[in-house]
Amino acid sequence: MAISPPSTRRRMHPSRRQDTSMAYIMLAPVLVLLGIFVIWPAIQAVYLSFFDWSFYTESEFVGWKNFHDVLVDNTFWEAVLRGLQFVLMTVPVSMVLSFLVASLATSVSRRVSTVLKVSIYIPSVISGVIASITFVIIYDYSGGLLNALVNVVGAPNQAWLGDPRWALAAVAVPAVWLGLGISTLIMIAAMLDIPDSLYEAAQLEGANWWQTARFITIPQMKNVLLFLLVTGFVGSIQQFELPLVMTGGGPNGATELPNLFIFNHFRGDAYVGYSIAAALLLFVVLGTISSIIFRIVNSEKLVD
Amino acid sequence: MAAPTRSPSAAPAAPAAPTTLAPADRRAARRRRMLQPRWILTFAMKAFFSLVIVTLALFPLAWMIISGFKIRTEVVSTPFQFFPEVWEWQNYVQILGDAAFLRTLAITGAGAVVFTAGSIAVNSMAAYAFARLEFAGKRFVWPAVLMTMFIPGMTILLTSFIVVTDLHMLDTLAVLIIPGMAAAAHIFFVRQFYLNIPSSLEEAAVMDGCGRWGVYLRIFLPLSKAPFVVVGITSFMAYWNNFVWPVMTITSPDLYQVQQYLAAFRGERASELGLLMAGSACAALPIIILFLIFQRQIIANIKMAGLK
Repeated sequence: MAISPPSTRRRMHPSRRQDTSMAYIMLAPVLVLLGIFVIWPAIQAVYLSFFDWSFYTESEFVGWKNFHDVLVDNTFWEAVLRGLQFVLMTVPVSMVLSFLVASLATSVSRRVSTVLKVSIYIPSVISGVIASITFVIIYDYSGGLLNALVNVVGAPNQAWLGDPRWALAAVAVPAVWLGLGISTLIMIAAMLDIPDSLYEAAQLEGANWWQTARFITIPQMKNVLLFLLVTGFVGSIQQFELPLVMTGGGPNGATELPNLFIFNHFRGDAYVGYSIAAALLLFVVLGTISSIIFRIVNSEKLVD
Repeated sequence: MAAPTRSPSAAPAAPAAPTTLAPADRRAARRRRMLQPRWILTFAMKAFFSLVIVTLALFPLAWMIISGFKIRTEVVSTPFQFFPEVWEWQNYVQILGDAAFLRTLAITGAGAVVFTAGSIAVNSMAAYAFARLEFAGKRFVWPAVLMTMFIPGMTILLTSFIVVTDLHMLDTLAVLIIPGMAAAAHIFFVRQFYLNIPSSLEEAAVMDGCGRWGVYLRIFLPLSKAPFVVVGITSFMAYWNNFVWPVMTITSPDLYQVQQYLAAFRGERASELGLLMAGSACAALPIIILFLIFQRQIIANIKMAGLK
């Protein structure tokens, strides 16, 4: 438990009375920094969302107008739908791949397992910019690796990032590549927690790999899978660095995910109330989801 | 992967074997099992899939590094070539001899070190206070700090920009280092670690006349290596890989951060792909090496994050 009841603690520490001043000395840097650079901007964001604010002119109170503008703006909803589409392209693929890799990593020798874990995690430490640059060259129209492979199969070159049909999927690939490591490691940890006796029983009954996965591994990992699903959703729908560097949101808005949509408005609009309102609306939804996850995590196993 | 995931007999490659047998019997049993076609098939499949996974995971990086060895026209060429015709060092020599690129690496590295040290210092002190001290207002302060973890960057991106403009921090290294230093996630992580340090250690020190600061400095800090490594590496990587914030706040090329430099390079010198790939490889390598040095701690930490 985090904080023992004061009565018992007081007996343990005779110097308890001095704690408040010491605590605030230790907390001061964090409280000042979070206050100035997180909490104040958050309050400002809520405040400014009701104004027609600009760097250049007097701001004007407009009430709920910004929110109304966002909610009736088709381009906003298109960006949100595109975000959901992007989630569908990345999260299921990444869940299935992590599950398969984790299953493999838990069934091989320790040394092979380490090699697998390290190699699957290495992409996660690479920056979005470097991943973008690398994949842009892989997708290059006239001399890229992917088109060379496509040609081998006999298909003509495709403009992967220039064609609205392919662009979003082309951004989804590096997103999966970058994110696979963490979910795989979490799944490995969860798989190692499942009691061996369950698998021994299954083996006596002659269960095959699929049956074991279907009736033992997946049900036993229910909480972890739910956690990864929701964090994957929240993380994926907020992705914007990859499309920002790879395509800038193009072609024709095909890769303009919700956060990139907001970011482009930040940079492009003279009046920022709209983009702040859009960011807040998105935050309300994602914040709700995050707090639900946190409650699940907290209630299940995160006991102090 | 034809066998059940993890039972001992289905994983003959694992060192663990049934414990009741004598070592010699065990070895013999294992040898017998290894001769069965089914075992060989499983083993071959696992080896094959392991190889495929390692290759796919590392391929884009290998591709980037190899492309750095190509002359300009070879990086994207028809017909396509995976390996360069002649391995050329010139891109790496040129990019590492480029004063602007070197300055970018140095300034990003220096900023990352300061950021990391600051992040460890402020977050660990706060973690200690939240884990071990009773103070007035704790009931409100802790949830408030925790709450900041859930404010998405995008929501406060513009208002943070307004704040740092008002503080005259634009286009200084301070704007890159100071705003992100305090992080609730780090505080939470270190606090979790401190909660598990037995209080008897503290009591003994207090009995011996150690003050509150003494307890922190002489008992908690020396025990904190593991969480500090995790917080440190995470902070360093976050700083090194940061892109959007530097792009918004840094305008003088003298202060360009490495990711910003690479993105600008791609925009301005689009034809020099070999050079760009060499530069990207040089920018990725420090982080990869850092990860490889501390991979055990980082991976253990992620397992803990897996709801434990």
